[in-house]
Amino acid sequence: MNVLIVEDEKSMALEMEFFLKKGGYLCDLAFTGKQARQKMSEHPFDFILLDLGLPDQDGLEVLKDAKKNCPEASYIILTARGDLEDRIKGLDLGADDYLPKPFSLLELQSRMQAVWRRKSGLNDSTVSLGDFTIDLNKRIVFFDKEEIELSRREFDLLSYLMLHKNRPLTRSQLSDHVWGDFSEDDYDSNFIDVHIKNIRKKMIAYAPVDWLQTVRGTGYKIKI
Amino acid sequence: MKLLNKITLYTTVSKIIIVLIFIWLLPGIVKDLNSQYTNYNLGEQKKKVLDNIRKRGIDYYFEGDSSYGSYTMLKEEFIALEPVNSHYPVDSIYTDKRIVETDTLTYRLLDYSFEYKNKTYLLEIGKTVSAIDQYNRPLQKVASYTLAVLIFLTLILDLFFTRLLLRPLNLIITSKLLNRKFPFKETISPVKTSTTDFKYLDQSLTDLASKIKDTFEKEREFTSNASHELMTPISILQNKMENMMMDQDLNEDLREKIVSMMTILNRLKKIVRSLLLISRIDNDQYVKTDLIKPYVLLEEVISELKDRIELRKIRIMQSLSQSIEIPRVNRDLIFQLIYNLINNAIRYNRDEGEIEISDQIIPEESYIIHIKDTGIGIHTHEQESIFDRFKKSDKTGSEGYGLGLSIVKTIAQYHGMHIVVQSEFGKGSTFKIYFPHWLKKQTVI
Repeated sequence: MNVLIVEDEKSMALEMEFFLKKGGYLCDLAFTGKQARQKMSEHPFDFILLDLGLPDQDGLEVLKDAKKNCPEASYIILTARGDLEDRIKGLDLGADDYLPKPFSLLELQSRMQAVWRRKSGLNDSTVSLGDFTIDLNKRIVFFDKEEIELSRREFDLLSYLMLHKNRPLTRSQLSDHVWGDFSEDDYDSNFIDVHIKNIRKKMIAYAPVDWLQTVRGTGYKIKI
Repeated sequence: MKLLNKITLYTTVSKIIIVLIFIWLLPGIVKDLNSQYTNYNLGEQKKKVLDNIRKRGIDYYFEGDSSYGSYTMLKEEFIALEPVNSHYPVDSIYTDKRIVETDTLTYRLLDYSFEYKNKTYLLEIGKTVSAIDQYNRPLQKVASYTLAVLIFLTLILDLFFTRLLLRPLNLIITSKLLNRKFPFKETISPVKTSTTDFKYLDQSLTDLASKIKDTFEKEREFTSNASHELMTPISILQNKMENMMMDQDLNEDLREKIVSMMTILNRLKKIVRSLLLISRIDNDQYVKTDLIKPYVLLEEVISELKDRIELRKIRIMQSLSQSIEIPRVNRDLIFQLIYNLINNAIRYNRDEGEIEISDQIIPEESYIIHIKDTGIGIHTHEQESIFDRFKKSDKTGSEGYGLGLSIVKTIAQYHGMHIVVQSEFGKGSTFKIYFPHWLKKQTVI
């Protein structure tokens, strides 16, 4: 998938590029609004990650024009301005999602996947995990067509770990994803532990769950 | 009362009073005028008679007789001339009765004595009072009607003109004051008026609003910039650490260090985010136009926190009135306020504890939500300071960064609400949220 990262903060753009390349995305960078317009005119992108605080142009203006020229692409707004109106305006202008800085790269990828799933309209959004199947659209976990009842948070955790499989995730990364703005570190990491314990308990009744590993001093990972 | 109504009332009442006074005085005035005119008339006749006598001699009247008398057909007027013996001079006008032929009538009389060829004569000219008075009533009527019509016309003109005159004021009030909502985003063209006072008022209001808007915009820009300046480096650091974590060859020791750095960075992130939220609220950057039902909002908060409630085996008892609606608030902020309080009630509760959420309506005064927990409670000496920024309770140790309740307090103040805490250490706390009196109009019980 082709991704255009429009971000004036170079080191930030490079980190995003590094991360997304590992995830198999093809990345192109633009540091100004002008560069972004030029790159968009050169060839099409699947994703455009757009920082609103560009040095030369208003990010929202860039978005408005880009929507006209590249209507096929999916747009995710990234901003550190935290302006409440930006979010509304951005979504009004047709952005697919909005991620306030600072955001986790894991969260960015998760949002990109969600946008992609929604836009491509894939009916089959199932992934297999050991002997289990996860339906990401319907938010259900199956064992051999039998539904396993997970709570909303438990499903969020499991699918997030699944998306970033084979990679250790910290408790705060997990709680950030599950509780967003309302997460509180020390307090929530205990809840993450309890939730993981419950996920294991509910699923081990059907099949082994050794793929869900505890990483000492860090957090958890799904290894498959 | 509106200025226009006041002026209307004043003009109408004052004109009515003037009309009444005039009507009350009118008979007197007419009578007075009439009698003055009659006196003048009698005097003129007297002059004419004396003139005739001087020119043509007294025999012009007497024609050989010793006296002269003449009256009109209806006996309204008469002239009498006769010699008298007395020598003191007479010159007076008065009202008295006279017998003319067989009729006794009341006359306005002019008596005048004069000497002519060593003889004294008395001239009497009379006019009946009824003849004088006969024009009084129609005169009064005509005067009254004319006056009434004139007053009516001026009244209408006055009111029309006042209305015209005050229209710019009305426009200023509606366009510049009543219909404007903070933060005055739209620009409103000046009100057209030729009255300098209104022009000045309009200009001052426009200037004032634009000054407020400028200050507001500056504050907003500042928080936006501050947010950008603080969040960008945090963001870069976080992403760098995340990428480091992805390294497969990373040794365990180093990874744990990165995790611990990430945790600290996360803490910094949360603090900055909370401070920016507080500063945005303080700068009025949230619109208060939502209508909320506390009952619905509480249900949402509870469902959001369901996992935590279940994991801690806490029992929630809620009995909020389902029909209460609170207007003119920011929904997201009130949600956050209730969320923070319920979250604290869970967090500082004991396992298998209870949270009781109830409400109370004080008619014409306020609506109160009570959130009562069975948690660790708060020392009396700390109850004052729990809402202060960065104030840490000495018992809670490293837990919390003291901003959750500061946010609650800021949101409450922003909405004119206030929060009261009652607590007994070791037994639990009750937080009371007072929604102020503006609620009363909307309250449906």
